[in-house]
Amino acid sequence: MNKVILGRYIPGKSIIHRLDPRSKLILSFYFIIVIFLANNWQTYALLSVFTVACVLLSKVSFSFFLKGVRPLIWLILFTVILQVFFSRGGTVYWQFGPLSLTSSGVINGSYVFCRFVLIIFMSTLLTLTTAPLEIADALESLMSPLKKIKVPVYEISLMLSIALRFVPTLMDETEKIMNAQRSRGVNFGEGSIMQQIKAVVPLLIPLFVSSFNRAEDLATAMEARGYRGGEGRTKYRVHFWRLKDTLACVAFVFLTTILLYLRNW
Amino acid sequence: MSIRFEKLNYVYQAGTPFEHEALRNVTVSIPEGSYTAIIGHTGSGKSTLLQHLNGLLRPSSGRVTIADKTITSSTKNKELGELRKHVGIVFQFPEAQLFEETVVKDIAFAPKNFGKTKEEAEKIAVEMADLVGLPANILNGSPFELSGGQMRRVAIAGILAMKPDVLVLDEPTAGLDPKGRLEMMQMFEKLHQQQHLTIVLVTHQMDDVANYADHTIVLEKGEVIAAAAPKEIFKDPQWLLKHHLALPKATKFAYELQKTGKFFFDKMPLTEKELAADIVDSLKRGGNQTE
Repeated sequence: MNKVILGRYIPGKSIIHRLDPRSKLILSFYFIIVIFLANNWQTYALLSVFTVACVLLSKVSFSFFLKGVRPLIWLILFTVILQVFFSRGGTVYWQFGPLSLTSSGVINGSYVFCRFVLIIFMSTLLTLTTAPLEIADALESLMSPLKKIKVPVYEISLMLSIALRFVPTLMDETEKIMNAQRSRGVNFGEGSIMQQIKAVVPLLIPLFVSSFNRAEDLATAMEARGYRGGEGRTKYRVHFWRLKDTLACVAFVFLTTILLYLRNW
Repeated sequence: MSIRFEKLNYVYQAGTPFEHEALRNVTVSIPEGSYTAIIGHTGSGKSTLLQHLNGLLRPSSGRVTIADKTITSSTKNKELGELRKHVGIVFQFPEAQLFEETVVKDIAFAPKNFGKTKEEAEKIAVEMADLVGLPANILNGSPFELSGGQMRRVAIAGILAMKPDVLVLDEPTAGLDPKGRLEMMQMFEKLHQQQHLTIVLVTHQMDDVANYADHTIVLEKGEVIAAAAPKEIFKDPQWLLKHHLALPKATKFAYELQKTGKFFFDKMPLTEKELAADIVDSLKRGGNQTE
């Protein structure tokens, strides 16, 4: 459970940490879209250099990013291998039935690999440098235009912040209950599939029950402190769009321009 | 079952930037049949230590010997299942572990996991429910409809039903009212006396340590700084205060009395009974001197 790096925040004071969470959120999504524009070596090299530059700017140790890739490595390899062996075109090196190893297959495979790694690096960068609550704030602020079409933006973001706040608490709780049930002779992750599914019941039921209790306590505590819904509330955490946020956007515009220039149409 | 820790180290999340050393060079033993109290500040490594008692955690280095079984960093998970039958751990707020439809089924869960048939397990469950003082009319009801104190009893009965040789209790009375607290502590004492169960108690209640324990292990920042009988541990109030530990109420009172200069205690009293006897003693002696 402690090995999950994705979604973890590392406090710091780098320029990336201090960017407005809204700009970080928009730009990470933007980057993911931009990645799909790349279609040759030069463009992928450009994106890689850019990503590495961002990682260096964040002053977060590189090993975190590698750990972010690790849990997904099988998925990545699976996709890459499918690409490599089932693509047609270019010089054929080797062929066997429907399988074939071709130059375009190898190239496509490496593109897919680059794409995956870059996307994971960028999203890890976002979560490593942005506190979960900041992300929730950013989402609320970015969703606020949706209020016009009657989307309950405030409620969604409240639920989101509460959910994010309780992720670590629930993880601790899960660990505690697992330990308690292990002491009572449950073996998690062992035996046949049916046995494994059965072993989850003594974990899930207590977790649900404690979540219900927690929700009730939290609701009571919120009401006791004068919470009456989103209408007419003020904000404690206020984010400002600063010059560096604009500069970050400018950097991305530059990136896109060069990318479009290098792209094979 | 005696338990021995040798040069035990435990590091959380080893090899990551979140690495955190929880236990350092712990060499200490828990004698068979003893009532051992483990005390120490919050974050001193008490809970980490007790998870080593039944193999929930394996040492990063060093070894744990439980009866004739040795656990090192390379011990396989499969070998630990058998061990868990012998060491029952009641975790903090154990009511969070209840999940079955009825109280009896929940108590019978552990013995069933350890190979008893359904009938045998349920028979044990009924006995255990009686032992922890649960009324017979709730046994076939849902455990979630009970009061907090009763849920705690069900959870404890669920551990006792394993018939462990070592019973580990992590703050078993946290959040209970004074009556429930006393009843529960007396029940453990009775089990210790009658069935010669080895009890390991982790607690912040120094009065419980003074009243029940016969061996004390003091942890600070992951290291064992003392292991002796409570009398030894509590004889030097200044040492305890230096290590941010509280005194039992009776000892604190005696300490304050001694400071006035009018009373003197050979050995610091631990319980109210001892305190009363010692005061009488001290008064008699004081009386003799003035005559």
